[in-house]
Amino acid sequence: MVSQNQNVISLESVSKVYSGNTHALRDVSLHVGAGEIFGLLGPNGAGKSTLVKVLLTVVKPTVARGEMLGKPIGDKKTLARVGYLPEQHRLAPYLTARQAVEFLAALSGVDRVTRKKRAAELLDRVGLLKWMDRRVNVFSKGMRQRAGLAAALMNDPQIVFLDEPTDGVDPVGRVEIRDLLLQMRREGRTVFLNSHLLGEAEQICDRVAILVQGRVVKQGRMDDLQKEGSRQELTVRWGGSGASAVANTAMSVGVGAEVAAHGAATARSLPFRGMQIAPTVTADGKHQYVFADLDAAAAQPALDAARAAGGEIISLIPMRQRLEELFMKIVVDPLTGKAPPPGAGS
Amino acid sequence: MTAFTAILVDGYRELVAKNLFTLSMILSLLVVAVIGIGGLNEQGVTILGFTIEVPFVNSNIFTPADFYKLMFNSVGVKFWLGWLACLLALVSSAGMFPEMVSSGVVENMLSRPLPRWRLYIYKFTAGLLFTSLQMTVFCMASFLVIGLRGGAWEPGLFLAIPLVTLLYSYLFAMSALLGTITRSAIAALLLTILFWGFLFTVNSAEFLLNGFRISSIKECEAIQALMEKRKKENPEVDVSDLESEFDRNQSALSNLALWHRVVFAVKTVFPKTDETTSLLQRWTLEASNMKDEGDDDAEEVAATAQKQRRRGETSFGNSRAKQREVNLAHEADQRSRGVGWILGTSVAFEIFTLGLGCWLFSRRDF
Repeated sequence: MVSQNQNVISLESVSKVYSGNTHALRDVSLHVGAGEIFGLLGPNGAGKSTLVKVLLTVVKPTVARGEMLGKPIGDKKTLARVGYLPEQHRLAPYLTARQAVEFLAALSGVDRVTRKKRAAELLDRVGLLKWMDRRVNVFSKGMRQRAGLAAALMNDPQIVFLDEPTDGVDPVGRVEIRDLLLQMRREGRTVFLNSHLLGEAEQICDRVAILVQGRVVKQGRMDDLQKEGSRQELTVRWGGSGASAVANTAMSVGVGAEVAAHGAATARSLPFRGMQIAPTVTADGKHQYVFADLDAAAAQPALDAARAAGGEIISLIPMRQRLEELFMKIVVDPLTGKAPPPGAGS
Repeated sequence: MTAFTAILVDGYRELVAKNLFTLSMILSLLVVAVIGIGGLNEQGVTILGFTIEVPFVNSNIFTPADFYKLMFNSVGVKFWLGWLACLLALVSSAGMFPEMVSSGVVENMLSRPLPRWRLYIYKFTAGLLFTSLQMTVFCMASFLVIGLRGGAWEPGLFLAIPLVTLLYSYLFAMSALLGTITRSAIAALLLTILFWGFLFTVNSAEFLLNGFRISSIKECEAIQALMEKRKKENPEVDVSDLESEFDRNQSALSNLALWHRVVFAVKTVFPKTDETTSLLQRWTLEASNMKDEGDDDAEEVAATAQKQRRRGETSFGNSRAKQREVNLAHEADQRSRGVGWILGTSVAFEIFTLGLGCWLFSRRDF
């Protein structure tokens, strides 16, 4: 196994131009550390599957400078240490689950004894022990996906590429697959996850890269990306009087001078960033305002002003940026509100 | 080796899962059974105790062993295995390559520590299982039938296994290439059948042209012999009619020879399906044992040939040369084609087809 903190995938520049001068990948550069779950995210047609296929020699790259497990991209022998669950994969319908996973393992050079042993173990792990001698043509999509996951692990891989592994799997199955991925990480395997499901990626990925039109537009540790755009939510409560305090607080958080004109009407809603913030009237007759989405610079003066005006600070909660928000910010054109068309263009 | 074995086993499982394979096996055994229930007596052919009088197929002409070997070659190998069983095998395995290169499957195959060309060759080899397994069963059953019914234990029959498998491999190499290019089983099958038809046409055209060419040679020889005979009988005799006939035949011969050379050159490049299976006949049966028709006069032969033509009977068009001589010369000419030429040129084309398939498969993005 590759030691922790070492990159198992280091791409300096990977490009793929299809015929017709269509750029599917353009100068992709990314790094995946050993033993981490790496998420490759992006809208449809961004080039996620193409990148994985380039790494696994299914697609021939136009340019591929980089290494996987210490060997140049495209080195066939390296693939003996790599597992892969393709998107919408199909197992031969005339094979049983056991035969199907053993067949794929044999193609990876796994010997017969090991194949027999691991097939039973892994099919048990994915919940198909009772079904392992049934033909896969009677399997549901979720069961086929589980069988595919078992097949991807048959050669005891150091890196496992999973392209939409929870596609077609029911919610219970999704949780089980998520647990399986976490277990892979505990075993020291690197998981390279292609997914549209940002919520899932957010829950389990250590690092992510966002691919748009064949380019990596963002990559980093999940924590860092979430902190990068983090906001604060301030909740303040006042008694019946103190209109000026409200005004001051509102002004300090950027509401604007016109708010002060509300005078003593503390129970009125306040305009805040184009919206009306209505207070909640608590049981003891006090009014509670919530100022959400404050950046770090605005939160501190607001806090000070609220305190100075005798306001009761209920909470100041740091709101981590959700992956979906980050993704939408990156992917969606702010002017049109639409995702870019597939491919990196010509 | 692990991967190769796995692909072979997978190929076998795929075949067993298809009803067509089982059906084909049963039909093969039925064909052997039909050959087995037939027999010979002095009047003709016997089937389940009934006699069908056939003047040219009876125990005076053939020994039982030769009869069964002839049936094995002409009905079993040439007709059943060389045509129908090959067609069933093509139908059954036409989907192998399109399926392998289809989305969702090809990723699993290519992302392995195995060069693509090797994967292609392994899959191709697995595709030959249909025919080789069927041939094995057929040959074993035929071996028993010829041994028990004909009294000849002929291990040479087992040569049919590699020969028919080889014949099928010419076609399957094309099917694999077309399946890889078109990614469609139907397209691969139809185009392969078209290719097979083309081979049949080229082979038949060459066979006929060669027959006519040899017939013309024999005709010229016969006319020359007749002229010499007449001059010998009467040195003053006028043979101008024979001379002009000779000139016409010479001219036809040069035309036929030219066309034969052209078709033969085309045929040389492509697989020789018919001649490949004929090799078995060459190795298991003696050269033609037709009864000699006697030393007829060329003029009598001409009269007979004219009568034959009036009755619509086909011959290679000779009027003065004896049909038997022409046939023997034609057969001798066919047999003079070396095994190296027949198999070598056919296998060379197959290697080219496979190489092209491997190259395309290795270059393509999936």
